[in-house]
Amino acid sequence: MNGMTVILRKELRDAVQGRWLLVFAGVFGLLALTLSLVDRDAGTTSAQSFNRTTAGLINLCLLIVPLLALVLGAGAIAGERERGTLAGLLANPVTTTEVLLGKYFGLVISVWMAIALGFGAAALLVSPINPLTGAGHYLLFAALSAGLATAMVSIGVLISVLSNGRTKAMAIAVAVWFGLVLFYNLGAIGLALAVSSSGQTLLVAVLGNPVESVRILAVLSLEPDLAILGPLGSYLSNEFGQGRSAMLLGGNLVAWAAAPLALAIYIFRRQDA
Amino acid sequence: MLTVTNVSKTYGKSTVLSGVSFELEPGSVLAVIGSNGAGKSTLIKSIVGLIRHDGEITIGGHSVTRDAKKARRLIGYVPQQSTLPPDLTVQEAAVFAAQLKGVDVDRARKAVESAGLEAHADRKVSALSGGMNQRLALALALLAAPPLLVLDEPAAGLDVSARLGLRKLIEEQRALGTSVLLSTHWIEDVPHVADNALILDSGKPVYFGPASRLATDRAAASRLYLRLNGKTPKALSLVTAATGAETVNQSGDWLVVTCPADSKARVVETLVSAGVPILDFRVEEAPVDEAVTRMRQAQEALR
Repeated sequence: MNGMTVILRKELRDAVQGRWLLVFAGVFGLLALTLSLVDRDAGTTSAQSFNRTTAGLINLCLLIVPLLALVLGAGAIAGERERGTLAGLLANPVTTTEVLLGKYFGLVISVWMAIALGFGAAALLVSPINPLTGAGHYLLFAALSAGLATAMVSIGVLISVLSNGRTKAMAIAVAVWFGLVLFYNLGAIGLALAVSSSGQTLLVAVLGNPVESVRILAVLSLEPDLAILGPLGSYLSNEFGQGRSAMLLGGNLVAWAAAPLALAIYIFRRQDA
Repeated sequence: MLTVTNVSKTYGKSTVLSGVSFELEPGSVLAVIGSNGAGKSTLIKSIVGLIRHDGEITIGGHSVTRDAKKARRLIGYVPQQSTLPPDLTVQEAAVFAAQLKGVDVDRARKAVESAGLEAHADRKVSALSGGMNQRLALALALLAAPPLLVLDEPAAGLDVSARLGLRKLIEEQRALGTSVLLSTHWIEDVPHVADNALILDSGKPVYFGPASRLATDRAAASRLYLRLNGKTPKALSLVTAATGAETVNQSGDWLVVTCPADSKARVVETLVSAGVPILDFRVEEAPVDEAVTRMRQAQEALR
């Protein structure tokens, strides 16, 4: 077992013993149940209702998953450094890259487990009310949430490497979450529309934020007609078509996972423990 | 085993380590001495590869910067403050350390036993006392039988019996052929545990050579306060003549004797043999700053 695997396994163990994983699954399941009950009261049919619940879930994921992933990532290195345990870890025959990757993948797998449990709990609670008809979409949304989490943990780990204290790292992570999840639509996309309302400008704005990329991917998977996305949809439809648009947005998500992680490794290797 | 060549470390415009060079042979013990801020911990962290530095450090021929993993495989490191994961139990921490060092996890159990912590194996590391924590850290540092043991202020916070235990451990490791590098404030221990001493003053080496010189050059001076019952003048001449004390002063009922650390017992013995009753006494160990100044002056006088 190499150093990276040992550290990864410890991260997983910490996640299970820390119980946040179960708390996330429980809260997610209950929110999904609430959404489902609201839909049932709205009087839609079962099939429509499940899809509506699923669409509601993705919006829920776009809020909760980035926060969870950013905060966990931000604590990864800054927390160890603050406790003094980072020096103890690096005094062993492991490289700085192994330590960082071990912590990163440990956190990513933990968040994936939390998402799987959350979606699983939601399906168990919702299916007696609204029978499961769109399982494919449901699984795709779970996968999109996992992809978003992967990118967000990466950004969180970069924040962690750059911060000289856990509290500071957490504060920056929450600020980034506010920026990407709550203010981006108003800020970047609003600015893009003000500068030029062309589909190309909007696409650049969407690619600048992994949360927006996942939001558009989710819409693409639910709605084959891209016109629903307005100028952006028309641009995507004309330039790329649905399949290539999905590949572009998916590739963007991969880039958002890889680039901050690579930068974090580069910086971490040049830092004192 | 360990070669340190012209190692320096700066933070911005502040130089905390400057031009440190020495070699540590297999099976020998080197004590790094200096007051707070002298650069001891910076030097040790550079050797372990925890901080970037200028100059070259090799362990068993492996550079700690270019070949960090192989170099660290040869080190057992005990830092000044605990770096063990506080959320793990003693047994889990030992297994984690064994896995990181790539040794059989069976050795983890033996390490817990050797630290005398088998009864506390299920306790969290955070719940251990300082002494227990250090015993565990030492046992885990020795898990992979490293040829180089690096101890940063290992005697800090230890009581007398724990300090004696530490001395014994260092002697055992030396006998096994392990090289030991330790930083310490306890200058009077150094001639007894170390072959060589490196004295740092504001990051600069002021002495590197046999540790025994610290005793002969009286770097390790102690101050004894003895309360005598009215026989102070007699004691004053006795102590001055018999023990080679540097200064003997009278202050009321108290006799203040500054002498080499290893002559303290001789002072007391001389007085008791001469029938001078000692009503009370107090010992002040050699301040490390004083010792550094003495050694620096001795070195300058030689030039």
